[in-house]
Amino acid sequence: MEYIAYFFIVVGLIFFLGTSIGLLRFPDFYTRMHAAGKGDTLSTVLILVGCIFAVGNQGDLNWILALKILLIINFVFIGSPTATHAMMDVGERAGAKPWNKKGENK
Amino acid sequence: MADLPIWHYDTLFLTLALLFGITALAMQNLMGAAIVFGAYSFLMCLIWTTMGAVDVAFTEAAVGAGVSTVFIFATIYNTGVSATPNSPRIAFKIFAGLIAFGTGAFLLSALPDFPDWGDPKSPVNSTIAPYYIANSITDAHVPNIVTTVLADYRGFDTLLETTVVFIACIAIYSILRIDNAKSKVTEPDIITSPPAYDPTDSLIIRQASRIMVPFMQLFALYVIAHGHYSPGGGFQGGVILGASIILLSISFDLKHVLQQWTEKKIMILTALGVLIYAMVGLACILMDGVYLDYAALDSVLPGDEAYARSHGILLVEIGVGITVMFSMIGIYINLASNGRFDRGL
Amino acid sequence: MNSFITIAGVTLIGLMLLVLIRVIKGPTVIDRLVAVNVIGTKSIVLLLFSGILFGQLDMFVDIALGYGLLNFIVSIAASRYYQHRKSLEQKGKTS
Repeated sequence: MEYIAYFFIVVGLIFFLGTSIGLLRFPDFYTRMHAAGKGDTLSTVLILVGCIFAVGNQGDLNWILALKILLIINFVFIGSPTATHAMMDVGERAGAKPWNKKGENK
Repeated sequence: MADLPIWHYDTLFLTLALLFGITALAMQNLMGAAIVFGAYSFLMCLIWTTMGAVDVAFTEAAVGAGVSTVFIFATIYNTGVSATPNSPRIAFKIFAGLIAFGTGAFLLSALPDFPDWGDPKSPVNSTIAPYYIANSITDAHVPNIVTTVLADYRGFDTLLETTVVFIACIAIYSILRIDNAKSKVTEPDIITSPPAYDPTDSLIIRQASRIMVPFMQLFALYVIAHGHYSPGGGFQGGVILGASIILLSISFDLKHVLQQWTEKKIMILTALGVLIYAMVGLACILMDGVYLDYAALDSVLPGDEAYARSHGILLVEIGVGITVMFSMIGIYINLASNGRFDRGL
Repeated sequence: MNSFITIAGVTLIGLMLLVLIRVIKGPTVIDRLVAVNVIGTKSIVLLLFSGILFGQLDMFVDIALGYGLLNFIVSIAASRYYQHRKSLEQKGKTS
């Protein structure tokens, strides 16, 4: 049971590495939102699934604890993409222009 | 627990908190500073978690990183103030710096007098804390010692703290509330211009709020009732309940929330919580006890004397939760609608 | 298991320092808001890691659940402010 937990946490951390590097290096507001919204939610869900298996290893896991961590996964999965949508809407109304390779619309 | 690898986390959290604090102070945009202060608040929550103080961490997460940041947004929305960088003369800056550093050094000079971290011979840990730890379960059948200390052994303090929250709500009402028909105040254009955004545009945010608000309220009721066994209690549950109504008012229109929670209901229910707390104490006097001595209610509540204290703590926490919930809602509506109760953030 | 969770937690905080660079550098306010949202979601995970290290996860799950619900409100409130104000700079009276 431990090794499943290790696997999920390591995969979640790899996705979060991708998210943070993407948040730093992408040239445009919209692409940075892609990195933040998708990568952040997915890495959080994977690490929390790993935490469910990690707790099962420590003895006295009752099913209520696993159910609560599933509830956290549920609310992060609903709430974080909605917040990303709201912020993207704001950026588009404020007039941020997409990045162009020739550097015309910066 | 002495070999916990917690010091790794502590130094890293402290570094992050310092960086966030410096960033928030150096920012010129007021909204940006408010957002970074919200992030600073939940780093403080994490620092308190690594110290083992979970009740305080829960309160900081609920209040600092949730509700109070929204209060600051509502204030900035209605005042339209921007921070212009005007730099004073260099002598003034040196004088201010000397005063700040002098006060800081004076306070830090008291640091070697503190007892060591977790010292069992410090004055708190050797006189009063062992009594609470040893007797909390036998006196009141409550495993969460923090709840027993707050609501039973130090019940007067919690009564007055609840009254302070109530007074804060009344103070904001008395400063901001304006009757629409009778006032002739001219407000700046930034407030009187019609809202630029139609709230019925955002279907996704409305649907997500519809899913999340019932669960938030159910979870908050669980936190109030389960405060005997897990971190929680009346204050944290009340803040989460207030935050759920604030979420409804942000994602829908403020008018829809005001149709359900009218101003009269909010004002009566804010006072009701403090009344419940005070009445429990008065009932203890009527049953031949001291004020707020729940063991005197033994004949009315089920169970023996220890269980009577446990039920007394639950009644008092319900009172605290009700007052805090409606204080948060009242403060938010006043701040967001600038006292007019018609349209808000 | 405990040492693995410690290393994972320290790695997570190190990656959060990278996101902090975006908070400092971000040219508009919305970039800072996005980065603070990412930091908030990851602090839920850090709370659970602290819980596993203390050995009492059932205490910390309640705090993590409460914070996961409240993290959403700040982002929605900030974006609602900007939807009303329609531009990202500050206007209005100064002082």
